Amino acid sequence: MAKLTIADLKKIKEKVHKEMSLRDGDRRVKVTVHMGTCGIASGAKEVMDTLLQEIETAGANDVIVTTSGCMGLCSREPLVTVEVLNQAPIKYEYINPNKMRQIFKKHILAGEIQTPFVLAKGSEVNK
Amino acid sequence: MKVFRSHLLLCGGTGCQSSGSLAVKKALIEDLDKRNLTEEIKVVETGCNGFCALGPILVVYPEGVIYVNLKPADIPELVEEHLIKGRILERLLYREPGTDKIIPTMQEIPFFALQELRVLKNRGLIDPEKIDEYIARDGYAGMAKALTEMTPDQIVKEMLDSGLRGRGGAGFPTGLKWKFAAGSKSDIKYVLCNADEGDPGAFMDRSVLEADPHAVLEGMVIAAKAIGSTQGYVYCRAEYPLAIHRLNIAIAQAKEAGLLGKDILGTGFNFDLEVYQGAGAFVCGEETALMTSIEGKRGMPRPRPPFPAVAGLWQKPSILNNVETLANVGQIMLRGSAWYASIGTEKSKGTKVFALTGDVANVGLVEVPMGTKLGTIVYDIGGGIPKGKKFKAAQLGGPSGGCIPVQHLNASVDYEKVAELGAIMGSGGLIVMNEDKCAVDMARFFMDFCQDESCGKCTPCREGTKRMLDLLTKITQGKGKEGDIELLEEMAGVIKNAALCGLGQTAPNPVLSTIRYFRKEYEEHILEHRCRAAVCSAMFKSPCQHTCPIEMDIPSYIALVRAERFEDAYKILLQTNPFPSVCGRVCDHKCQSKCRRDNMDESIAIKFLKRFITDNAPRPKIEAVPVTRKEKIAVVGGGPAGLTAARDLALRGYKVTVFEELPKAGGMLYWGIPSYRLPRNILDHEIDDIRKLGVELRLNTRIGKDITFAKLEKDFDFIYLATGAHKSQKMGVTGEELGNVFGGVEFLRDFNANEDKWLKGEKTLGKKVAVIGGGNSAIDAARVALRVGSDVTILYRRLRADMPAAEEEIKAAEEEGIKIEYLIAPLKIEGKNGKVSSISCQRMTLGDFDNSGRKKPVAVADSEFTLKVDAIIAAIGQVPDMSFVDKKTGVEVNKWDCYNVGKGYKSRTANPKYFAGGDAVTGPDTVIAAIGDGHQAADDIDAAIRVANGEPAYEKPAKEIINVPLIIDEESIEAPQMHMPEMNHDTRKLSFAEVELGFNREDAIKEACRCLRCDAAV
Amino acid sequence: MKAEDTELLKEFTKEQVAKLNSIIEKFKSKPGGLIPVLEEAQVALEYIPISVQKRIATGLNLPLSRVYGVVTFYSFFTMTPRGKHTVRVCLGTACYVRGGKALTDTLEKQFGIKQGETTPDRMFTLESVRCLGACGLGPVIVVDEDVHGRIKPGKVKEVLSQYN
Repeated sequence: MAKLTIADLKKIKEKVHKEMSLRDGDRRVKVTVHMGTCGIASGAKEVMDTLLQEIETAGANDVIVTTSGCMGLCSREPLVTVEVLNQAPIKYEYINPNKMRQIFKKHILAGEIQTPFVLAKGSEVNK
Repeated sequence: MKVFRSHLLLCGGTGCQSSGSLAVKKALIEDLDKRNLTEEIKVVETGCNGFCALGPILVVYPEGVIYVNLKPADIPELVEEHLIKGRILERLLYREPGTDKIIPTMQEIPFFALQELRVLKNRGLIDPEKIDEYIARDGYAGMAKALTEMTPDQIVKEMLDSGLRGRGGAGFPTGLKWKFAAGSKSDIKYVLCNADEGDPGAFMDRSVLEADPHAVLEGMVIAAKAIGSTQGYVYCRAEYPLAIHRLNIAIAQAKEAGLLGKDILGTGFNFDLEVYQGAGAFVCGEETALMTSIEGKRGMPRPRPPFPAVAGLWQKPSILNNVETLANVGQIMLRGSAWYASIGTEKSKGTKVFALTGDVANVGLVEVPMGTKLGTIVYDIGGGIPKGKKFKAAQLGGPSGGCIPVQHLNASVDYEKVAELGAIMGSGGLIVMNEDKCAVDMARFFMDFCQDESCGKCTPCREGTKRMLDLLTKITQGKGKEGDIELLEEMAGVIKNAALCGLGQTAPNPVLSTIRYFRKEYEEHILEHRCRAAVCSAMFKSPCQHTCPIEMDIPSYIALVRAERFEDAYKILLQTNPFPSVCGRVCDHKCQSKCRRDNMDESIAIKFLKRFITDNAPRPKIEAVPVTRKEKIAVVGGGPAGLTAARDLALRGYKVTVFEELPKAGGMLYWGIPSYRLPRNILDHEIDDIRKLGVELRLNTRIGKDITFAKLEKDFDFIYLATGAHKSQKMGVTGEELGNVFGGVEFLRDFNANEDKWLKGEKTLGKKVAVIGGGNSAIDAARVALRVGSDVTILYRRLRADMPAAEEEIKAAEEEGIKIEYLIAPLKIEGKNGKVSSISCQRMTLGDFDNSGRKKPVAVADSEFTLKVDAIIAAIGQVPDMSFVDKKTGVEVNKWDCYNVGKGYKSRTANPKYFAGGDAVTGPDTVIAAIGDGHQAADDIDAAIRVANGEPAYEKPAKEIINVPLIIDEESIEAPQMHMPEMNHDTRKLSFAEVELGFNREDAIKEACRCLRCDAAV
Repeated sequence: MKAEDTELLKEFTKEQVAKLNSIIEKFKSKPGGLIPVLEEAQVALEYIPISVQKRIATGLNLPLSRVYGVVTFYSFFTMTPRGKHTVRVCLGTACYVRGGKALTDTLEKQFGIKQGETTPDRMFTLESVRCLGACGLGPVIVVDEDVHGRIKPGKVKEVLSQYN
């Protein structure tokens, strides 16, 4: 990336907002596996690996996978957020590889929210 | 082509395989083979059907029934039920989950809704390794403003106005720190970030560094501009490899984008940054030690002055700020100091991030405005204490801090209030402790940590922490002496005053704080060798025995049940408890609350095993004990306290007479506890055994009326007053004096005195009965009222979790059809023709916490409603009835209507002839506590007599040696507590037959085998 | 330098010595570079005995006492080799009574070392640890971060074979 000016900062902000709102045609679902040290210690890496494997096996090109740091409720990790285009993000708790597989097949591919594993929907609001 | 009558589709996907589908398949094929079904039923392994978390999964066709979570052990039953008998096996059936309508939003979950995110605003939303995502959420915009639109002076002013105080623990105003450094003249200045976070239990900084590292970098650039620095360091502890990794990536990306390094954003401002790794020394979190460490030396602090703002790293002016402090800076520049100062308290502005850990349901990161109540953090956000345990204290500030106990749950968490309560805000570690934590042990734990981490440079810390640790360790081992607490306080004062740095100066804080709020626990450790949390195991054999008020040898009698030596087990019971049959039915079993097996699955059913022994072992034969002593003792009150004292004294050769005003002895055991909980014959047997020793029982005899106190004093040498607490407390509402309004105790007594009339229907409460109260008495009254034909509703003014009654009693009442309504308080009782006809009530809501850690019920305006009732039973508490006490005896009665004791002997009153114990001294308490009081009184009276006679102290006769087998299983298999069989819910409420039926032999032995033998010594 | 190198080669490989020298070169001119040098040396050589400390002292132009003082101050640095894996046997009473002592004996015999020592092939360091609170799973051993419960002496070999 070239050296930025202040105007560039604003441009980046707009560009990323566009991308993050999934308006781009070939992105339908965004999955965030929350991976702070606490998440990793409870198995988030295995969950991530499982997700990537399932995406590869299914050839799901419209699913993007990203990560973040700790999202706060450490006692229920590993936590995974699934955001389907035009729908409220769903936060899943206590995820392990098998639950990740089920969520991938049933929610990400088939659109059925796996309620027994859900913590909540929506996002935290910044006041 | 072969035709099968059924296809079994077994999922062979990766998920199910990892859950054991292959073993299930094997079992299935074997079972089908065994039953010769392989020609009719085909097993097909299919690909994954998506229910990976419910595997192994089996779909039976042609029905299409789905079975989930299969284990090989389930197969025989499945084949038998479904494939042979054609019945669906319900328990393994797949159930459709509810629709997404029941999914709460994040805003509906208090953990999230009650937080106010500023430092953590990006959590969960950005990839920390992609700078673009940070920029997209206003990242570096504050820095841009500071570098292009503000002068260094303006930046400092903005920081001062915001009121931001150092979040590392000391709370020094950040703006002031920067101002001093800005004012120092030097061409080289340093900006340092303290990312050493060494407090055990704190992980806020780690979270920020791993999730949002750019926030810290942005803050440092702004700080550099403010003070005039071109070089910075982030000192990060080596135990945070992921944080270091992400920091380095962030720095590289920021440099590449021109947001760090030379000519930032084209403004000509230079600031470079490096990560410096710690090497495992907690003291390097201290300001000057940290700088010394960066200089490549042993991390030992330096005396101040000079302060780092004048001479810091390499003797140059430096500022050191905490990660959380810096993460606020960018937003303060962007949104302004007024925005930042808009929340918080007057002297503590903004938010604070807490790492909420320990005995709390929601462990995690919590960011709240300064001034939030501690109770809000622990209960509303944290979800309260799991497993029904009680809150004991919250530790704030780690090894430098202190604890805040239950009576301060309403305290606002800000710098001033926390310091006033004897703790410090600290970096934000908030450790919740429940009743199973020992205050002395916690203090010792933190002192151990400080002593280990002490750098050794200054004597007060190096020697002082070692000596304090020694003393604390001795106390936890039962080797403490009188004067130790005062010595700890003295040493603490010296160390705090004389230590060179914050580590030493604050190391005594946990000790001082626990002494301040839990001094009694220290005293118990030293004087009684007692640890009420049952943690300091050097002082006791097993937590159960230690917690029992009379120290029954629980592991021994359980081991004897396991060995099927029930008679020996009974002997062990009687060594300490004259009422083991009774206790086996009604004890509040605090022993079970400390049972270590609970950490694995569930506690041992100690109470039920005790009952099993007394129900199944032959009753030991009681012989009369010859009277060998000349002193005569009178016991007033034939309840458990009085009878225990009588028995103990009779065993020592004294002539004892028990006076009981009612027609039958037993006190609350007969007149309070109903017979479906404690059958009359069980109680009678144990009272009879005491009579058989030679104790005289005079019933229907009221002291103060039938026999004067003066006469009593003439005929007896010593008198034990164990008169109990039998008067119901009044509710204090109008209409209480109307007919059919009873006190709980009075109703139960009337029932027991006139049982026949009640059962025949000659006496009746009427159709609808309201019981007010939430203790065991209220439940007892309610279940009796039910059995005499009424429709019963219990009205309680708080929540179920607050009810003092035992959980099993509440459940039993509900199972019998008794309704319980919560958050209701009585206002007025209305009557017709002199009898109650209705009760007006008010709904309550929960307000602030009271001293017991429960939320106070507060009336809800305009919420009155009326219930039609035929009778009301007010069981809100009991007090002793002291109207019979002759003032001339000189026995003191205090303002709670209880006897004052403790004069010279634990149970002696102001008149040396009179001793007292049981509910009449403590207020309503448990049976086992009363038994303990009885033992104490016997010891005291006997000791007083011997001392007066110049005789040597009493020597207990040698106990019969009973060899207890020590069997430790190599493996413990998880199993819940054995279930106590009960009478059917519907039939049992029609009679007073005992509801709990008792273990059979096989179940008792199985339960006894679950005991982990915590008493095993090496 | 050459003389010191010979002494180092008695305990370390040529590659390790070369790495050590390059680490020293990297931080030579950095003020306060001693700690980063020690950190990287610890990773490359696994421990920092006196011979290595002498080399670092000369390389950074510091007195040996200064290097020794820093190595012994910070808990991250070790002067004796540590194994690749740390095996901690819980010696709380519950585990002890369920065979923790037998377990320790087995491990000591199998490795040929006593508690606190490291196997000659530097694979395992044996330590004891106080109660971990997993008493229902006793006896318990912790290998690195993994907690293994219900370990019988016979199972020890199997568990440790997972680690190489």
